[in-house]
Amino acid sequence: MTSAQKAASLARVGLFAGLPPASLDALAELAGEVAFEDGDPIVIQGQVGTGLFVVVSGAARVVHGGQELARLGPGEFLGELAVIDRQPRMASAFAMGPTTCLALASWDLFRRLDADPDLVHSLLRGLTARLRHLSEHHSH
Amino acid sequence: MAGTEEMIDELSGLALFADLARPELAGVVHTLDEEWYPDGQRILREGLSGTGFYVLLEGEVSVRLGEQEVARLRRGAYFGEAAILLGELPGADVVAVGRVRVVNLAGPALKDFLMRHPNVMFRILQEQTRRLRGAIQWRR
Repeated sequence: MTSAQKAASLARVGLFAGLPPASLDALAELAGEVAFEDGDPIVIQGQVGTGLFVVVSGAARVVHGGQELARLGPGEFLGELAVIDRQPRMASAFAMGPTTCLALASWDLFRRLDADPDLVHSLLRGLTARLRHLSEHHSH
Repeated sequence: MAGTEEMIDELSGLALFADLARPELAGVVHTLDEEWYPDGQRILREGLSGTGFYVLLEGEVSVRLGEQEVARLRRGAYFGEAAILLGELPGADVVAVGRVRVVNLAGPALKDFLMRHPNVMFRILQEQTRRLRGAIQWRR
């Protein structure tokens, strides 16, 4: 993928919604393309996270304690909490069929967070939206 | 009403502002309004507009969905950010327990405030991550 293609993929991700083009380009420069075969682990529950993954093609199965929690398709992401707080992963994710992800390493993302308040704001909005969604899901 | 120097001292003791040097804190103090609420008063009302970002300095607040308390917040905690960040109405009632003192920032001013103080925004991002992990674990 070219940097422009990476930036376009990142622009589709809810967590980066509304980021200025310069912020997206800077992230795209840091994003690595990673290919997984069917059944390969993308992240493993209990490990300290070293990256955030965005599904570009294929799909990921999110599993916690042997139970499937979600299936993620193109434009969806995983691993964002462990990147921010460097705590162990809460779930594992496995590729379903050949799957390509963009990977952002925690140290690279941290450097960008330091340099780019727009990126922090965008992640903050994304996490807050999920938090509200979870609490509404719970209360109704 | 606390004077500027006293308020700087007070805010510097809160985790949210721990990364700010004194001159930056002085700027923060001038942006915030100090408010008091009597026991039982609703500070935020679920579903009603008129939002603000609040940091709790004295007393406790009860976060309520209907009749049910879903969280109890203490000194140093903040609330009201979700509705502002997401452009939605408050998702819960926030009620004073005992006499409550807060500093308050009007909703429309929050984004500008966070962009000018990225360290504060990053602290909030970390706290949202912690809350999100709690909410996810709680559901399983």
